Amino acid sequence: MSAVLMMKRLTLAALCAVAMLQVSPSRAQQATEVQVTYSKGQFQPSEVTAPADKPITFRVKNLDPKAMEFESKSLRVEKVVAAGSEGVINVRALKPGRYEFYDDFNEKARGALIVQ
Amino acid sequence: MRNRAAAGQRHAIALPLLSCVFLGCTGSVRAQDASSWKDIETKYIFGFTTGSGIGLEGEKEFTVDSIGRFGKRDGHYAATETKYEFEFTPTQFIQIEFGALGSTHNIGGVTGLDDRSQVALSGAFAEFRYLAIERTSNNPLAVTLAVEPTVRRIDETSGERVRNFEFETTVNADLELMKNRLFAGFNLLYEPEVTQTATGYTQREATVGGSAALSLRVASNVVLGGEVWYLRHYDAANLTSFTGDAVMLGPTLYVQFTPKMFMTAAWNAQVWGREVGNLVSLNLAEFQRHRARLKFAWEF
Repeated sequence: MSAVLMMKRLTLAALCAVAMLQVSPSRAQQATEVQVTYSKGQFQPSEVTAPADKPITFRVKNLDPKAMEFESKSLRVEKVVAAGSEGVINVRALKPGRYEFYDDFNEKARGALIVQ
Repeated sequence: MRNRAAAGQRHAIALPLLSCVFLGCTGSVRAQDASSWKDIETKYIFGFTTGSGIGLEGEKEFTVDSIGRFGKRDGHYAATETKYEFEFTPTQFIQIEFGALGSTHNIGGVTGLDDRSQVALSGAFAEFRYLAIERTSNNPLAVTLAVEPTVRRIDETSGERVRNFEFETTVNADLELMKNRLFAGFNLLYEPEVTQTATGYTQREATVGGSAALSLRVASNVVLGGEVWYLRHYDAANLTSFTGDAVMLGPTLYVQFTPKMFMTAAWNAQVWGREVGNLVSLNLAEFQRHRARLKFAWEF
């Protein structure tokens, strides 16, 4: 087998592996819904809970007159929610722990998801 | 002998410098409250060492990532390769990157290399990253597996017209040693490649290695650190023909200018190396005296 052919096969194998890894069994499970309101530059409630090992759907209702960006490095999600609208953010099944989230447009707006 | 002494001298200078950076920063860090800082994306805080971060689902980023390599045994040698890169995160476990490569070569009087001064569009690449172990508040370790196929029409080292295929495979791991403040990064590298020259000659080679890095967040938007790399070169993809190895050491810097824009910079000097069959200090046949990295990124 030529080296060029070998490289092409390696690339194809890697792409297949990545595609297989992407199929997450958690998608099939029922998601836990978490409701958060964003008002006057604050999350309400600022701390929410969810069970471990189940996918989570965040429903973020932005009551402020300007857009906010729901973001979390540990949840690995971000979504801009327009003024007066609701954003839906799907999160994978999580292990127990504390996961912080914030408004990327407003340093002071912080919240946390406690998974237990 | 003189080279050995010079290398030792560089080593002796680099280590205290790194120590000073850490010690000097510790005081200012104590004064700041890291608990109020947002979590940091670890992918770019370790210099040449890549952290485990894969971005946020739905996030897109454009980056310009330049790596310069400087200094061979004789003459003057400066080569750069720049990635013009688009990256995105389609799921909470996968990141995909692709882009074009541009290169520059300024070579004169280097044994074994033709004199050259050129700028070229040199190739293309893609990278697939999978987050295998994720960090939580109860687990400080995160691990990402990455593969990066690359095709080049310009040889990275000599600047000659070639057909080069490379398949970089890495394990990127990092540990959060102190919440939001101190991070350790580790990489394992296996990089086989095959190069066909204009004369029809085919060369197979591979580089394997590992790195360790330590990065301290001295302010919410500034991270300083140091890293060390050990690299081995083979004239075969299956690692049967060892030709030499090297140790690179140097400082790293990460600065976040705005929530959506940041830069990372790193500089490594070769502090130890050997070439098989050549009793000289440092390995300047397969590696270089210095390398530097400068990367700017814009998220959108």
